[in-house]
Amino acid sequence: MRYFVCVFCLILLLSTPAMAVAEGEAARVKTFKGTAFIVRQQQAIQVKQHDRIYPGDLLRTGPDGTMGVIFRDNTTLSLGPRSEIAVDEFLFAPSQGKLSIVTRMFRGTAAYLSGVIAKLSPASVRFETPAATIGIRGTHFLVQVEGADKK
Amino acid sequence: MKFSSLILLASAFMLLSFAACAPAHRTRVILIPDPDGKVGEITVQNKGGAQIMTQAGQMAEVHDDATAPVSPASVMDDKEIHRIFGDVLAALPEKPLTFILYFKTNSFELNIPSLKVLNSAHEAISSRQSEDISVIGHTDRVGTDEKNYILSRKRALSVKKYLVVKGVHPDAIELDYHGEANPLVKTAEGVAEPRNRRVEVIVR
Repeated sequence: MRYFVCVFCLILLLSTPAMAVAEGEAARVKTFKGTAFIVRQQQAIQVKQHDRIYPGDLLRTGPDGTMGVIFRDNTTLSLGPRSEIAVDEFLFAPSQGKLSIVTRMFRGTAAYLSGVIAKLSPASVRFETPAATIGIRGTHFLVQVEGADKK
Repeated sequence: MKFSSLILLASAFMLLSFAACAPAHRTRVILIPDPDGKVGEITVQNKGGAQIMTQAGQMAEVHDDATAPVSPASVMDDKEIHRIFGDVLAALPEKPLTFILYFKTNSFELNIPSLKVLNSAHEAISSRQSEDISVIGHTDRVGTDEKNYILSRKRALSVKKYLVVKGVHPDAIELDYHGEANPLVKTAEGVAEPRNRRVEVIVR
Protein backbone atom coordinates (compact mmCIF):
# COMPACT_ATOMS: atom_id res chain seq x y z
CA MET A 1 0.00 0.00 0.00
CA ARG A 2 2.74 2.40 1.01
CA TYR A 3 4.47 1.55 -2.22
CA PHE A 4 1.41 2.61 -4.22
CA VAL A 5 1.16 5.88 -2.32
CA CYS A 6 4.81 6.58 -3.12
CA VAL A 7 4.31 5.82 -6.80
CA PHE A 8 1.22 8.00 -6.84
CA CYS A 9 3.12 10.91 -5.26
CA LEU A 10 5.94 10.45 -7.73
CA ILE A 11 3.51 10.60 -10.66
CA LEU A 12 1.93 13.73 -9.22
CA LEU A 13 5.35 15.31 -8.79
CA LEU A 14 6.48 14.40 -12.29
CA SER A 15 3.29 15.67 -13.88
CA THR A 16 3.44 19.12 -12.25
CA PRO A 17 5.93 20.77 -14.65
CA ALA A 18 3.86 19.73 -17.67
CA MET A 19 0.76 21.21 -16.07
CA ALA A 20 2.61 24.43 -15.27
CA VAL A 21 3.43 24.83 -18.96
CA ALA A 22 -0.14 24.16 -20.06
CA GLU A 23 -1.43 26.72 -17.56
CA GLY A 24 1.03 29.43 -18.60
CA GLU A 25 -0.25 32.86 -19.46
CA ALA A 26 -0.74 33.29 -23.21
CA ALA A 27 -1.66 36.95 -23.65
CA ARG A 28 -3.00 40.10 -22.01
CA VAL A 29 -5.86 42.41 -22.86
CA LYS A 30 -4.55 45.75 -24.13
CA THR A 31 -7.59 47.43 -25.66
CA PHE A 32 -11.34 46.90 -25.41
CA LYS A 33 -14.60 48.70 -26.13
CA GLY A 34 -18.22 47.82 -25.32
CA THR A 35 -19.14 44.21 -24.67
CA ALA A 36 -16.04 42.03 -24.73
CA PHE A 37 -15.71 38.76 -22.85
CA ILE A 38 -13.23 36.07 -21.95
CA VAL A 39 -15.13 32.77 -21.78
CA ARG A 40 -13.40 30.39 -19.38
CA GLN A 41 -14.95 27.11 -18.21
CA GLN A 42 -18.30 28.19 -19.69
CA GLN A 43 -18.29 31.47 -17.78
CA ALA A 44 -18.18 34.75 -19.65
CA ILE A 45 -16.24 37.48 -17.86
CA GLN A 46 -16.35 41.09 -19.11
CA VAL A 47 -12.73 42.01 -19.85
CA LYS A 48 -10.74 44.71 -18.09
CA GLN A 49 -7.45 46.33 -19.05
CA HIS A 50 -4.44 44.01 -18.35
CA ASP A 51 -6.61 40.86 -17.95
CA ARG A 52 -4.62 37.67 -18.53
CA ILE A 53 -5.59 35.15 -21.18
CA TYR A 54 -4.73 31.45 -20.91
CA PRO A 55 -4.75 28.57 -23.40
CA GLY A 56 -8.30 27.23 -23.60
CA ASP A 57 -9.91 30.68 -23.27
CA LEU A 58 -12.41 31.94 -25.81
CA LEU A 59 -12.50 35.65 -26.71
CA ARG A 60 -15.93 37.00 -27.64
CA THR A 61 -17.24 40.44 -28.56
CA GLY A 62 -20.81 41.73 -28.73
CA PRO A 63 -22.37 43.93 -31.45
CA ASP A 64 -20.77 47.04 -29.87
CA GLY A 65 -17.54 45.36 -28.78
CA THR A 66 -13.88 45.18 -29.85
CA MET A 67 -10.84 43.79 -28.09
CA GLY A 68 -7.07 43.76 -28.67
CA VAL A 69 -4.52 41.48 -27.01
CA ILE A 70 -0.75 40.92 -27.08
CA PHE A 71 0.66 37.43 -26.63
CA ARG A 72 3.87 36.71 -24.67
CA ASP A 73 5.78 36.32 -27.95
CA ASN A 74 4.52 39.76 -29.14
CA THR A 75 1.90 38.36 -31.53
CA THR A 76 -0.81 41.03 -31.66
CA LEU A 77 -4.46 40.15 -32.29
CA SER A 78 -7.68 42.16 -32.37
CA LEU A 79 -11.35 41.27 -32.73
CA GLY A 80 -14.03 43.41 -34.35
CA PRO A 81 -17.68 43.39 -33.25
CA ARG A 82 -19.61 40.05 -33.10
CA SER A 83 -16.44 38.00 -33.21
CA GLU A 84 -15.20 34.83 -31.56
CA ILE A 85 -11.68 33.44 -31.37
CA ALA A 86 -10.40 30.56 -29.22
CA VAL A 87 -6.81 30.37 -27.97
CA ASP A 88 -6.23 26.65 -28.44
CA GLU A 89 -2.50 26.39 -27.78
CA PHE A 90 0.26 28.65 -26.62
CA LEU A 91 3.80 27.64 -25.71
CA PHE A 92 6.69 30.09 -25.68
CA ALA A 93 9.95 28.72 -24.25
CA PRO A 94 12.65 29.33 -26.89
CA SER A 95 15.51 28.00 -24.74
CA GLN A 96 13.66 24.64 -24.45
CA GLY A 97 12.55 24.66 -28.10
CA LYS A 98 8.86 24.73 -27.04
CA LEU A 99 6.96 26.96 -29.42
CA SER A 100 3.32 26.88 -30.44
CA ILE A 101 0.54 29.36 -31.11
CA VAL A 102 -2.78 28.05 -32.39
CA THR A 103 -5.87 30.29 -32.57
CA ARG A 104 -9.26 29.33 -33.98
CA MET A 105 -11.75 31.85 -35.29
CA PHE A 106 -15.47 31.06 -35.43
CA ARG A 107 -16.92 34.29 -36.79
CA GLY A 108 -16.51 38.03 -37.14
CA THR A 109 -13.45 40.07 -38.09
CA ALA A 110 -9.87 39.91 -36.85
CA ALA A 111 -6.47 41.49 -37.43
CA TYR A 112 -3.33 39.46 -36.70
CA LEU A 113 0.28 40.61 -36.56
CA SER A 114 2.62 37.70 -35.98
CA GLY A 115 5.35 37.70 -33.33
CA VAL A 116 8.55 35.91 -32.35
CA ILE A 117 7.20 32.35 -32.74
CA ALA A 118 6.49 32.98 -36.44
CA LYS A 119 10.10 34.16 -36.84
CA LEU A 120 11.69 31.25 -34.97
CA SER A 121 9.39 28.47 -36.19
CA PRO A 122 6.71 29.34 -38.81
CA ALA A 123 5.40 25.76 -38.74
CA SER A 124 4.38 26.27 -35.08
CA VAL A 125 1.91 29.05 -35.97
CA ARG A 126 -1.64 28.29 -37.09
CA PHE A 127 -4.75 30.44 -37.44
CA GLU A 128 -7.79 28.26 -38.09
CA THR A 129 -11.14 29.30 -39.56
CA PRO A 130 -14.16 27.08 -40.30
CA ALA A 131 -13.30 26.99 -44.00
CA ALA A 132 -9.48 27.07 -44.08
CA THR A 133 -6.27 27.18 -42.07
CA ILE A 134 -3.89 30.10 -42.39
CA GLY A 135 -0.15 29.46 -42.19
CA ILE A 136 1.99 32.45 -41.31
CA ARG A 137 5.51 33.53 -42.19
CA GLY A 138 5.88 36.69 -40.16
CA THR A 139 3.23 39.10 -41.32
CA HIS A 140 0.08 41.11 -40.88
CA PHE A 141 -3.34 40.03 -42.12
CA LEU A 142 -7.09 40.52 -41.75
CA VAL A 143 -9.79 37.85 -41.64
CA GLN A 144 -13.55 37.96 -42.01
CA VAL A 145 -15.68 34.91 -41.25
CA GLU A 146 -19.33 35.29 -42.11
CA GLY A 147 -21.96 33.38 -40.15
CA ALA A 148 -25.30 33.66 -38.38
CA ASP A 149 -25.31 35.76 -35.21
CA LYS A 150 -25.71 33.92 -31.96
CA LYS A 151 -28.83 34.86 -30.05
CA MET B 1 -14.76 4.55 -16.11
CA LYS B 2 -14.79 2.86 -19.49
CA PHE B 3 -18.40 3.88 -20.02
CA SER B 4 -17.72 7.57 -19.43
CA SER B 5 -14.80 7.65 -21.82
CA LEU B 6 -17.06 6.06 -24.41
CA ILE B 7 -19.59 8.87 -23.95
CA LEU B 8 -16.81 11.42 -24.33
CA LEU B 9 -15.67 9.80 -27.53
CA ALA B 10 -19.23 9.64 -28.85
CA SER B 11 -19.88 13.31 -28.13
CA ALA B 12 -16.58 14.28 -29.70
CA PHE B 13 -17.64 12.40 -32.79
CA MET B 14 -21.05 14.07 -32.82
CA LEU B 15 -19.40 17.47 -32.52
CA LEU B 16 -17.11 16.65 -35.40
CA SER B 17 -19.92 15.47 -37.63
CA PHE B 18 -21.97 18.50 -36.64
CA ALA B 19 -19.07 20.75 -37.67
CA ALA B 20 -18.84 18.92 -40.98
CA CYS B 21 -22.55 19.52 -41.67
CA ALA B 22 -22.60 23.11 -40.37
CA PRO B 23 -23.48 25.76 -42.96
CA ALA B 24 -20.57 27.22 -44.87
CA HIS B 25 -18.88 30.27 -43.39
CA ARG B 26 -17.56 32.32 -46.24
CA THR B 27 -14.12 33.46 -45.17
CA ARG B 28 -11.95 36.23 -46.55
CA VAL B 29 -8.28 36.69 -45.70
CA ILE B 30 -6.41 39.85 -46.69
CA LEU B 31 -2.66 40.34 -46.48
CA ILE B 32 -1.66 43.85 -45.39
CA PRO B 33 1.77 45.45 -44.75
CA ASP B 34 3.44 45.23 -41.33
CA PRO B 35 3.64 48.53 -39.42
CA ASP B 36 7.22 48.92 -40.73
CA GLY B 37 5.98 48.60 -44.34
CA LYS B 38 7.21 45.07 -45.06
CA VAL B 39 4.80 42.56 -46.57
CA GLY B 40 5.13 38.96 -45.40
CA GLU B 41 3.71 35.72 -46.69
CA ILE B 42 0.70 33.65 -45.66
CA THR B 43 -0.82 30.43 -46.94
CA VAL B 44 -4.57 29.84 -46.89
CA GLN B 45 -5.22 26.12 -47.08
CA ASN B 46 -7.99 23.54 -46.80
CA LYS B 47 -8.90 20.12 -48.17
CA GLY B 48 -9.59 21.66 -51.60
CA GLY B 49 -6.20 23.31 -52.07
CA ALA B 50 -3.97 26.21 -51.06
CA GLN B 51 -3.43 29.85 -51.93
CA ILE B 52 -0.08 31.50 -51.19
CA MET B 53 -0.27 35.28 -50.71
CA THR B 54 2.67 37.67 -50.93
CA GLN B 55 1.19 40.97 -52.14
CA ALA B 56 -0.24 43.81 -50.03
CA GLY B 57 -4.05 43.93 -50.33
CA GLN B 58 -4.19 40.46 -51.88
CA MET B 59 -7.26 38.53 -50.78
CA ALA B 60 -8.18 34.86 -50.54
CA GLU B 61 -11.84 33.90 -50.52
CA VAL B 62 -13.00 30.53 -49.21
CA HIS B 63 -16.57 29.28 -49.50
CA ASP B 64 -16.29 26.06 -47.48
CA ASP B 65 -13.64 23.72 -46.21
CA ALA B 66 -13.76 21.44 -49.26
CA THR B 67 -13.49 24.13 -51.96
CA ALA B 68 -10.06 25.54 -52.74
CA PRO B 69 -9.44 29.18 -51.72
CA VAL B 70 -9.52 31.58 -54.66
CA SER B 71 -7.68 34.86 -55.00
CA PRO B 72 -9.36 37.55 -57.14
CA ALA B 73 -7.00 39.29 -59.55
CA SER B 74 -7.66 42.73 -58.08
CA VAL B 75 -6.40 43.68 -54.61
CA MET B 76 -8.78 45.11 -52.00
CA ASP B 77 -8.44 48.91 -51.89
CA ASP B 78 -7.88 50.86 -48.67
CA LYS B 79 -11.42 52.21 -48.64
CA GLU B 80 -12.97 48.76 -48.69
CA ILE B 81 -10.47 47.49 -46.10
CA HIS B 82 -11.44 50.40 -43.89
CA ARG B 83 -15.17 49.78 -44.35
CA ILE B 84 -14.98 46.14 -43.28
CA PHE B 85 -12.01 46.20 -40.92
CA GLY B 86 -11.97 49.78 -39.54
CA ASP B 87 -13.16 48.70 -36.06
CA VAL B 88 -10.79 45.78 -35.81
CA LEU B 89 -7.77 47.80 -36.98
CA ALA B 90 -8.59 50.53 -34.46
CA ALA B 91 -8.61 47.87 -31.71
CA LEU B 92 -5.18 46.48 -32.66
CA PRO B 93 -2.82 47.25 -29.74
CA GLU B 94 0.33 49.26 -30.32
CA LYS B 95 3.22 47.02 -31.28
CA PRO B 96 5.45 46.03 -28.31
CA LEU B 97 8.70 48.00 -28.10
CA THR B 98 12.04 46.26 -27.56
CA PHE B 99 15.07 48.00 -26.05
CA ILE B 100 18.48 46.28 -26.03
CA LEU B 101 21.04 47.19 -23.38
CA TYR B 102 24.68 46.06 -23.62
CA PHE B 103 27.12 45.12 -20.87
CA LYS B 104 30.84 45.10 -20.22
CA THR B 105 32.49 41.69 -20.44
CA ASN B 106 31.89 39.33 -17.48
CA SER B 107 30.05 42.11 -15.69
CA PHE B 108 26.55 43.26 -14.90
CA GLU B 109 27.53 46.88 -15.37
CA LEU B 110 25.84 48.60 -18.32
CA ASN B 111 28.01 50.25 -20.93
CA ILE B 112 27.59 54.03 -21.01
CA PRO B 113 25.54 54.43 -24.25
CA SER B 114 23.05 51.84 -22.98
CA LEU B 115 22.11 54.06 -20.05
CA LYS B 116 20.40 56.35 -22.55
CA VAL B 117 18.51 53.37 -24.02
CA LEU B 118 17.43 52.34 -20.54
CA ASN B 119 16.00 55.81 -19.99
CA SER B 120 14.10 55.56 -23.29
CA ALA B 121 12.68 52.23 -22.10
CA HIS B 122 11.54 53.91 -18.91
CA GLU B 123 9.91 56.73 -20.89
CA ALA B 124 8.05 54.18 -23.03
CA ILE B 125 6.81 52.40 -19.88
CA SER B 126 5.51 55.68 -18.50
CA SER B 127 3.87 56.92 -21.69
CA ARG B 128 2.13 53.58 -22.34
CA GLN B 129 1.36 53.16 -18.63
CA SER B 130 2.53 49.61 -19.21
CA GLU B 131 2.09 46.96 -16.54
CA ASP B 132 3.48 44.30 -18.86
CA ILE B 133 7.26 44.47 -19.15
CA SER B 134 9.74 41.67 -19.77
CA VAL B 135 13.39 41.98 -18.75
CA ILE B 136 15.47 39.16 -20.25
CA GLY B 137 19.17 38.65 -19.54
CA HIS B 138 21.71 37.08 -21.93
CA THR B 139 25.47 36.48 -22.17
CA ASP B 140 28.02 35.62 -24.84
CA ARG B 141 29.78 32.22 -24.88
CA VAL B 142 32.88 33.04 -22.85
CA GLY B 143 32.84 30.90 -19.69
CA THR B 144 30.76 27.92 -18.61
CA ASP B 145 27.01 27.53 -19.18
CA GLU B 146 26.34 27.68 -15.43
CA LYS B 147 28.38 30.82 -14.89
CA ASN B 148 26.67 32.49 -17.82
CA TYR B 149 23.23 31.50 -16.58
CA ILE B 150 23.98 33.20 -13.25
CA LEU B 151 25.52 36.23 -15.00
CA SER B 152 22.47 36.64 -17.26
CA ARG B 153 20.26 36.64 -14.16
CA LYS B 154 22.44 39.29 -12.49
CA ARG B 155 22.23 41.45 -15.60
CA ALA B 156 18.45 41.16 -15.77
CA LEU B 157 18.15 41.87 -12.04
CA SER B 158 20.30 45.01 -12.25
CA VAL B 159 18.04 46.37 -15.02
CA LYS B 160 14.90 45.50 -13.08
CA LYS B 161 16.30 47.23 -9.97
CA TYR B 162 17.04 50.35 -11.98
CA LEU B 163 13.49 50.50 -13.36
CA VAL B 164 11.99 49.89 -9.92
CA VAL B 165 14.10 52.71 -8.45
CA LYS B 166 12.70 54.91 -11.25
CA GLY B 167 9.19 54.11 -10.00
CA VAL B 168 8.06 51.11 -12.07
CA HIS B 169 6.03 48.66 -9.98
CA PRO B 170 8.05 45.44 -9.40
CA ASP B 171 5.00 43.27 -10.22
CA ALA B 172 4.80 44.83 -13.67
CA ILE B 173 8.20 43.37 -14.57
CA GLU B 174 8.63 39.74 -15.56
CA LEU B 175 12.24 38.64 -15.09
CA ASP B 176 13.79 36.00 -17.34
CA TYR B 177 17.34 34.90 -18.21
CA HIS B 178 18.64 32.57 -20.86
CA GLY B 179 22.39 32.46 -20.15
CA GLU B 180 24.24 31.90 -23.44
CA ALA B 181 21.39 29.81 -24.99
CA ASN B 182 19.60 32.59 -26.87
CA PRO B 183 22.23 34.67 -28.69
CA LEU B 184 21.45 37.60 -30.97
CA VAL B 185 24.47 36.57 -33.09
CA LYS B 186 25.40 32.87 -33.25
CA THR B 187 29.05 32.16 -32.35
CA ALA B 188 31.29 29.23 -31.46
CA GLU B 189 31.88 28.34 -27.79
CA GLY B 190 34.36 30.66 -26.07
CA VAL B 191 33.91 33.60 -28.46
CA ALA B 192 33.52 37.07 -26.94
CA GLU B 193 30.62 38.78 -28.71
CA PRO B 194 29.57 42.16 -27.31
CA ARG B 195 26.20 42.04 -29.11
CA ASN B 196 25.22 38.96 -27.11
CA ARG B 197 26.09 40.47 -23.70
CA ARG B 198 22.74 42.08 -23.34
CA VAL B 199 19.45 42.58 -21.58
CA GLU B 200 16.27 42.99 -23.60
CA VAL B 201 13.50 45.15 -22.21
CA ILE B 202 10.14 44.53 -23.90
CA VAL B 203 7.36 47.04 -23.20
CA ARG B 204 3.87 45.84 -24.10
